[in-house]
Amino acid sequence: MLRGAEIFLQCLRAEGVDLMFGYPGGAIMPLYDALEGSGIRHILTRHEQGAIFAAEGHARATGKVGVAVATSGPGATNLVTGIADAKMDSVPLVCITGQVRSALIGTDAFQETDVFGLTLSLTKWSRLVRSIEEIPAVIAEGFHWAREGRPGPVVIDIPTDFLKAKMEFSGPAKFTPSPRPSDAKAGNAFPDSVISLLQKSQRPVALIGAGAKLSGAIDELRALLDELNIPTFATVHGLGAVEPSAPYYLGMVGMHGTRAANMALHENDVLLVFGARLDDRVTGDPTRFAPHSKIVHFEIDPAQLDRVRQCEIPIIGDLAQTIPAFHKKVKNARLPNWSEWRAVACGEDRAELDPRGLAQPTIRFLDELFGRLPENSIVLADVGQHQMWAAQRYRSASPRGFITSGGLGSMGFALPAAVGVQLSKPDATVVCVSGDGGFQMNIQELATVRRLNLPIKMVIVDNKYLGMVRQWQQLFYQRNYAETDLSDNPDFVEIAKAYRINSQRLQEDVMREYPVSEETGDRLERFLNSSEPELLVFDCAPEANVYPMVPAGAALSEMLFEED
Amino acid sequence: MHAFHIHYRNTQGTLMRILTAVSRRGLSIEYLVASTSGAGHRADLLLEVNEKQIGQLCRDWHAIVDVTDVRVGTPTPEMLNAATGFVGPHPPVSAGAGGRSASAAMA
Repeated sequence: MLRGAEIFLQCLRAEGVDLMFGYPGGAIMPLYDALEGSGIRHILTRHEQGAIFAAEGHARATGKVGVAVATSGPGATNLVTGIADAKMDSVPLVCITGQVRSALIGTDAFQETDVFGLTLSLTKWSRLVRSIEEIPAVIAEGFHWAREGRPGPVVIDIPTDFLKAKMEFSGPAKFTPSPRPSDAKAGNAFPDSVISLLQKSQRPVALIGAGAKLSGAIDELRALLDELNIPTFATVHGLGAVEPSAPYYLGMVGMHGTRAANMALHENDVLLVFGARLDDRVTGDPTRFAPHSKIVHFEIDPAQLDRVRQCEIPIIGDLAQTIPAFHKKVKNARLPNWSEWRAVACGEDRAELDPRGLAQPTIRFLDELFGRLPENSIVLADVGQHQMWAAQRYRSASPRGFITSGGLGSMGFALPAAVGVQLSKPDATVVCVSGDGGFQMNIQELATVRRLNLPIKMVIVDNKYLGMVRQWQQLFYQRNYAETDLSDNPDFVEIAKAYRINSQRLQEDVMREYPVSEETGDRLERFLNSSEPELLVFDCAPEANVYPMVPAGAALSEMLFEED
Repeated sequence: MHAFHIHYRNTQGTLMRILTAVSRRGLSIEYLVASTSGAGHRADLLLEVNEKQIGQLCRDWHAIVDVTDVRVGTPTPEMLNAATGFVGPHPPVSAGAGGRSASAAMA
């Protein structure tokens, strides 16, 4: 006879779980009581939101399912932002929440919350466990749906009495999904119409999103793009999928994308979309998005098709299958010579940022920092101006090398996510770039960093504002800086010292020298090469802005630049 | 008005997921009947939606794990009548409160 908690943990092990992040409390205590000897390492964060973001970091860095644990009531509700984040960014996640004992459910018991109900629209699948006997089947099915197709978050809510109860355990369950009638209709043949479309095209382009990376078909994608040799750009989650040095690669597209990428996305006549949702940050004004385009959308999740613009040819399926099938067709086809279009789209007059933008000290700082990173580095960005600067300046061919909260835009994501990343990739140089606003949203995780002695390199780009909101207030609300002033920020250097973390401050003036002084270069080298956790506060001009910028409601071709 | 017929396996929360796809768009549900249908279950909904919303809803519903089929059709007279005709006591009348409404009884 085994306790439900022991069965639960054995089933997690059977799903390959060896690391999970959480915070104990009343209803989930039996699971914690059974942890020792389970073969699963548990990381105690200092807030449940820290736990779920750390689990996301682990999942995003490895492709494995992240696991977050919390107790009932406030523990469970503190997971909600992370669940929504994982849904938006297709992160495989299983959240385990303790629930009050089954007899008390529905009585408004102490720390009772209907976590199943409140996460219904945020989860891909969820279950309130109704008996100890259900545990193995629920875990098997939950992990299946977290991984399968477009990955996403799953919630398993378990009443505390089922964790304490005992039963004979014959081993973990296996889950086989029931086929849906519509699944049988899907054909395997790759449609010739895509080739016909390309043969008539004069200005084709390719847009790469997160789905291309999630499919694992990076080599296949790069081979296809080399063959096509058409202007190519990536969403913020598609960064790293394409070799940055590829002659046809134009960088990031969207609201703060490069001039070249946005212009090519506006001007093309055939748009090949590989695993991107085409959300509003990528399309700008949807009514003026890619006005001349015929869209071929490669996508695993049919729910993502036609959300903003109807596509002409949907290619539904795992990109690991559809990309090679398309490549085979491309190889056997006679396609037009697009060199003139390539010369226009990739021309020097469309250089990614104007010279004044490149001289901006924060951009210089990020260039100096990223330029010193070893190959096995992973950069995390929080949410705001620094995120967009980091995305613009990130130059790596590592598909899982840039991690950020893109869809939900959850401030406070980066620091706890970096905990998960560093634990999963102990040999990697993990750099966590935050703003002064976002860093304070999960600043308590400095304690987790210290406790585990994780050598994360934390950077705060400190402009003493909620910078991105302030930028919008400046540009679109007549400089009415309502409630975005953070000039009374604490001294982050002293705070880090209180957590016994090495810390230093760098003034932006040192980045006005070109090249930077030997002393500054050495400081950055020492910062990156330290075997300890390190915090660097970069003092940034309060009113520095991120450019290029496509104003909300504008077309992609209507970018604002520094000189404007 | 469009009628939607969503076939699903009646697992925990599946009907609610079907409905939240509607409520997240701020749409009113004019008619809803959920019942068994063959080996599974079926929800019939009547919604005032545009062409784009039809596509989005159908895809969202189809993405729900236990939804097996989604159909769009013309509303039946029964659906249209039910959508406009029903007037019932609200809040419910308390049996022991002399016809006072439940909220009045609790005041």
